[in-house]
Amino acid sequence: MTQLKLLAWLWSLVVCLLVVHTSYLWLNQRIAPETDILALLPLQQRDPVLQQAFTQMVDTGQQRLIVLIGADDWMQAGDAADAYVSELSPYNDLLQLDQRATFDSPQEWLGLFRQHRLALLTPEQESALRHEPTQFWVDQALSNLYRPFGGSILSPWHDDPFNLFGEWAQARAQDTTVRPRDGRLSISDGRREYVVLPFTLRVAAFSTAAQKAIVPLLQKAKHSARKAVPGVEVLSAGVILYAAAAAEQSTREVGTIGFGSMLGIIMMTWIAFRSLKPIACVIVSVAIGCLGALSVCWVVFDRIHLLTLVFGASLIGGAQDYGTYFLCNRFAADSRQLNSWQLLRRLTPALTLALATTVIGYLGLALTPFPGLRQVAVFSAVGLGFAWLTVICWFPALAWRGTFKSGRLGEKYAGTMQHWPVLRCDRGTLVFGLLAIALAAFGLSRLHTDDDIRSLQNPPKHLVEEQIKLSQLLQVPAPAQFYLVRGPTAEAVLQREEVLRERLEPMIEKRLISGYQALSNWVPSLHVQGERLQLIQKKLLNEGGALNLLAKKLGEDDKWVSRSREALLASALPLSPENFFKSPIAEPSRPIWLGNLNGIYASIVGVRGAKKDNLAILQQAASGLEGVQWIDKVSEVSSVLAAYRQYMTWLVVFSYFAVYGLLYPRYGRDTWRVVAPTAIASLTTLALLGSVGAGLQLFHVLALMLLLGIGIDYGIFLQEHFGRRDAIAWLSVALSAINTLLSFGLLSLSKTPALQAFGLTMLIGTVAVCLVVPCFALAARDNEIPTERLGVTV
Amino acid sequence: MCSLPLLGAAPLATIESMLLKPEVLCGHFEQKKQLVGLKNPVNSSGRFCVVADKGVLWRTLQPFPNTLRLTRDEIVQVRGEQVAMRLEAKKEPTVRLINTVLFALLAGDVRQLEKLFEIDGSVQNKVWSITLKALEPGLAKAIGSIALKGGVYVRSITIDEANGDRTSIDLMAIETGESAMNVDEAKLF
Repeated sequence: MTQLKLLAWLWSLVVCLLVVHTSYLWLNQRIAPETDILALLPLQQRDPVLQQAFTQMVDTGQQRLIVLIGADDWMQAGDAADAYVSELSPYNDLLQLDQRATFDSPQEWLGLFRQHRLALLTPEQESALRHEPTQFWVDQALSNLYRPFGGSILSPWHDDPFNLFGEWAQARAQDTTVRPRDGRLSISDGRREYVVLPFTLRVAAFSTAAQKAIVPLLQKAKHSARKAVPGVEVLSAGVILYAAAAAEQSTREVGTIGFGSMLGIIMMTWIAFRSLKPIACVIVSVAIGCLGALSVCWVVFDRIHLLTLVFGASLIGGAQDYGTYFLCNRFAADSRQLNSWQLLRRLTPALTLALATTVIGYLGLALTPFPGLRQVAVFSAVGLGFAWLTVICWFPALAWRGTFKSGRLGEKYAGTMQHWPVLRCDRGTLVFGLLAIALAAFGLSRLHTDDDIRSLQNPPKHLVEEQIKLSQLLQVPAPAQFYLVRGPTAEAVLQREEVLRERLEPMIEKRLISGYQALSNWVPSLHVQGERLQLIQKKLLNEGGALNLLAKKLGEDDKWVSRSREALLASALPLSPENFFKSPIAEPSRPIWLGNLNGIYASIVGVRGAKKDNLAILQQAASGLEGVQWIDKVSEVSSVLAAYRQYMTWLVVFSYFAVYGLLYPRYGRDTWRVVAPTAIASLTTLALLGSVGAGLQLFHVLALMLLLGIGIDYGIFLQEHFGRRDAIAWLSVALSAINTLLSFGLLSLSKTPALQAFGLTMLIGTVAVCLVVPCFALAARDNEIPTERLGVTV
Repeated sequence: MCSLPLLGAAPLATIESMLLKPEVLCGHFEQKKQLVGLKNPVNSSGRFCVVADKGVLWRTLQPFPNTLRLTRDEIVQVRGEQVAMRLEAKKEPTVRLINTVLFALLAGDVRQLEKLFEIDGSVQNKVWSITLKALEPGLAKAIGSIALKGGVYVRSITIDEANGDRTSIDLMAIETGESAMNVDEAKLF
């Protein structure tokens, strides 16, 4: 007995340390889980430049919120926008209206280019300079001159007689359909006029507090906009809205599913034990398991990924088996006058095997090169270990003899074991077996895989619709698909962009894409700037060029020609990215220029208006170009998920063999009786998923892994209590299984696809394993396993 | 002879009531530009058409043919037989604004102009004149000030740009109705 007390005290010390460490982590480090799925890729496969690109494209976008306020009339839209903004302006610490983009006039925002503009040309202009005769340019200048109502709105005629800069600026303006108007940003689809309100969040989009504060504010603002102008259209898009919707959905589900599962578990425990103490004990063991896992993981990895937490949380399913098993036996042992120490000695072999068979699977996981899987492995193995140790060290002290009274329903239920069909070598078994195999083969043959990340998300329809409409109006480049261009110098990057652009231009003509965003549109490489300058001098400025002919037509003298030539050449200073980024007009281009990253220069070329079917063509365009890479984050993430699914599948298969090996010394040629029920249940689950046409994905396989741990536990418990009259194991399996069903099976009601997949697998698998496991339990052949092997003398 | 000092909404209403609003209006124009940096004024002439709900056709015939067609969805410039420039409203939203302003100037749509410009006007003996200044500072800077003169139709437009360039256009030989447009022009619309 003293050993028992010592054990309990020692474990109390460990638990105290655990609580101190996790509270320290919580309060001082403010642990926030990583959410980037690509962080789960093996380190050597991760590309730092690419990571930076994603950070700039995706993470910058995360903090944006764009609102469009539309009405039939521009004035009305403006009034509604004012009402909207005034509702939000007191909350500048949460979100701020981005006003940088509203400049006074085009002349001002193009002021930067005064000294640099001569060599800025559109591709059409450049080709016309090469191929059209001098007369074409004279005509061009004259028709600009005769055009009514001024020449170009940007500059007087004599500053840009050939309208080179005017047309270039026009093309740049067409990078976006947003226009400054009356001190606002405006956009129009021909039917309605919209005010564009770009907001920047001052708080993290994924923080729950931020979502709770901002989303109702936006609702309120929308309401006042509608009150100010009835019938006004308010479109909003931003990562925060999706995050908030997902959080709200999971909160709602925790409310209903979580409450239901808690209530169910408490009721079941009450019926079986007539006491709530058992469930309290089980919760304590699981909680200590989770704290231990978190603490050790943080020490080992210095971080924790969201996926680890999600899967780690499913530990509860495995961890609660130990406690339930112990308590059921405690309950039964009363009648046998066993004290806790004796009971513990009697149960330790089965409990140890149950732990070992689960942990061995996770050890396999730790050998994979994927950091995310290693985290899951450590988290799960440590968590299970801590829960197990809690059962061993504390439960004998917590659940003393006479703690529980018998519940009549529990006894009645235990009696059903007597009538359960048993596997025998007869015709019935054969027919049933063949039928089962045929059905399973049918289901399995229809199983396909689906790793598309998009099938893991289920955002509310109205958000998706608003987002689609908004991006059609704004014509923003896709944030998750783009070209990454690298080179040893900024000049090299710009030159490579220019080569890529030669392939993209024909795609615009073929309407495969509507446009692209590239820094070289604004800042051509020095090489190209030099080439163009020569071209302009040759065709337009030199003796015999268009300027001379133009002077003759207009009756101007040579002085006029040389004055004009000098004025134009004064605006031919080379433009560099550094110069460009000094101007406020460069602001929208900032995310696409990565600059110098440890000696490598890189930039992003964004694509606008690409349809999903054309992605392959876009990928093709990058092939064979030095330093140009097509990036598709959606497919990258999906491929990470696919790799994880494959690894996990192999792990499940490997685990079956490892478990078999582990169990063999104890159960000998009956080992298959322990393993078979879980294997059959897993195959049944897969077959059912196949026949309903569900695509197999990572979360199904993760659930199968958990099912393996749980199912083998059931097999062990039943096999330990050979002799079907012993109803305790049966009761303990049933209680464990019901707890599992209530905690995970109910997840199949979730609207989050990943959770639903996990829950559905657990639901089918657990039910199947429960139904099958008694059939395989050894019938009353008492002499088969000698009692010594159990380490008990009854 | 009487001169009315015009203030507030009443004078615009008077001017509006003086103007006719035919479905189709065509005529001859004489345009004179005086640009900074050029010794000689640049003169051109041709025909123009304003068609309600369609847009404006501006056909320069002298010194060389050059046609500008402005509709709700695009601005197209045709030099000789060739399209020299096409600007789509889908890509360049200001196309609609330009077209609205131009149409309103040529048709004398005072109500429309009022939305974008501060208007000063006077009426003298069946001839009215107004000056326009853009409400939006950016636009005002870009286009300067505009003066219109007319009676039942707009007769002259003068634009003084901020950089010193000056354009004056006289509209004459105005016809209305279906027959006002000749065959070439009907084809262009």
